[in-house]
Amino acid sequence: MLTNNNSNKMFFLFILFFSTLISISSNSWFGCWIGLEINLLSFIPLISNSKNLLSVETSLKYFLTQSLASINFLFMILIKFSLLKNFDMNNIISIMMNSSLLMKMGSAPFHFWFPNIVEGLSWMNNFMLMTWQKISPMILLSYYFNKNFLIFMIIMNLIIGSLGGLNQTSLRKLLAFSSINNLGWMIFSIMISENLWLFYFLIYSMMIFMMISLFFLMNMYFMNQLFINNMNFFIKLNLLINFLSLGGLPPFMGFMPKWIIINFLLINKFYFLTFIFMMTSLIIIYYYIRIIYSSFMFNYFKMKWVNLLMKNNMSLINLSSFISISSMILSTFIFM
Amino acid sequence: MLIYDIWFLFIYMFFVGNLIFVSKNKHLLVVLLSLEFIVLSIFFFFLVLLMFIDYDMYMLMVFLVFSVCEGSLGLSILVSMIRSHGNDYFQSFSML
Repeated sequence: MLTNNNSNKMFFLFILFFSTLISISSNSWFGCWIGLEINLLSFIPLISNSKNLLSVETSLKYFLTQSLASINFLFMILIKFSLLKNFDMNNIISIMMNSSLLMKMGSAPFHFWFPNIVEGLSWMNNFMLMTWQKISPMILLSYYFNKNFLIFMIIMNLIIGSLGGLNQTSLRKLLAFSSINNLGWMIFSIMISENLWLFYFLIYSMMIFMMISLFFLMNMYFMNQLFINNMNFFIKLNLLINFLSLGGLPPFMGFMPKWIIINFLLINKFYFLTFIFMMTSLIIIYYYIRIIYSSFMFNYFKMKWVNLLMKNNMSLINLSSFISISSMILSTFIFM
Repeated sequence: MLIYDIWFLFIYMFFVGNLIFVSKNKHLLVVLLSLEFIVLSIFFFFLVLLMFIDYDMYMLMVFLVFSVCEGSLGLSILVSMIRSHGNDYFQSFSML
């Protein structure tokens, strides 16, 4: 991501990182708004860099939704300031502020722009959109949230993220719906504790980084490109491990944050919510496994005229597989 | 307290601006204009708010600078869209 020829990208990337820090560490809500504006201002040049039709349309849609959300956010900040509702979190103003932040994140029911834009971006821009751009809205959400409203939004996120990905053939849209589903988990972890959110977010971004770097190295954007080339067994295995880890299956790294959240849910008797979390996770794992299972059965496809040579990048792939498998066990050594 | 009826004006302007933003228009420029209208309503609101509590207007200036930056960003995206598509109609979106 940083190894490109354009120094403008490094400049805007620096400002992007800085804008999130401005937004989450400001003393007043106005400073938060300023950080969100600078975030928008510096992300648009990053994504509108190539000269095809797709990137123009992508940056336009991104600009329209994000600017509307941040302007609504500012208006609600002003109303909250003028009516002096600083500590009352159960009213219409907190619902409006949370709605505008949810629109910035791409969470349901404001998610309709998110798969469209993810379809139009390259893999590295997708990585920035799916991980870094979610930090500042989520931390701002944790400062003034409306619990009942957010639980309803979480349920919508989970359902839309799981059911929306069933009919997708583009890998980017698949990861977009998976990202919407994981947003549901992350918003709930904000309501538990911010430390837990940080933990979930770090592991999620690590998993997404592994997947996106694998797809980026193989230059794959669609599902039919996955097995039409002759992949090494270890790349297929790494793909399987990454997908299962993203879905939250037990021996892999992605299970750990979900386990902690489910633990909290069951202890505090959120039984219906636990049911929805579990069932939507099942649907997600279904469509992950649907992608990769046929490459491991006895009769898998092996085209002999397209050979995918990845001699130089195998160490990164093996390292990521190792981390995904062994991190649950290794974590017990660290936190003792 | 008839002076407090001014709040209704801001909310009305804000909602009308949002309504134009989400309506089906032929041109993109109408959407950007509605964004600027919302910015105008927030500017007015901010002005009256800061006057009522006797603050200085510096925050208003900062808000104005950022809104103008955002408006110019929207216009530059409009320009790049016209360069690639030839017009700014919403019908020419077919990719995504």
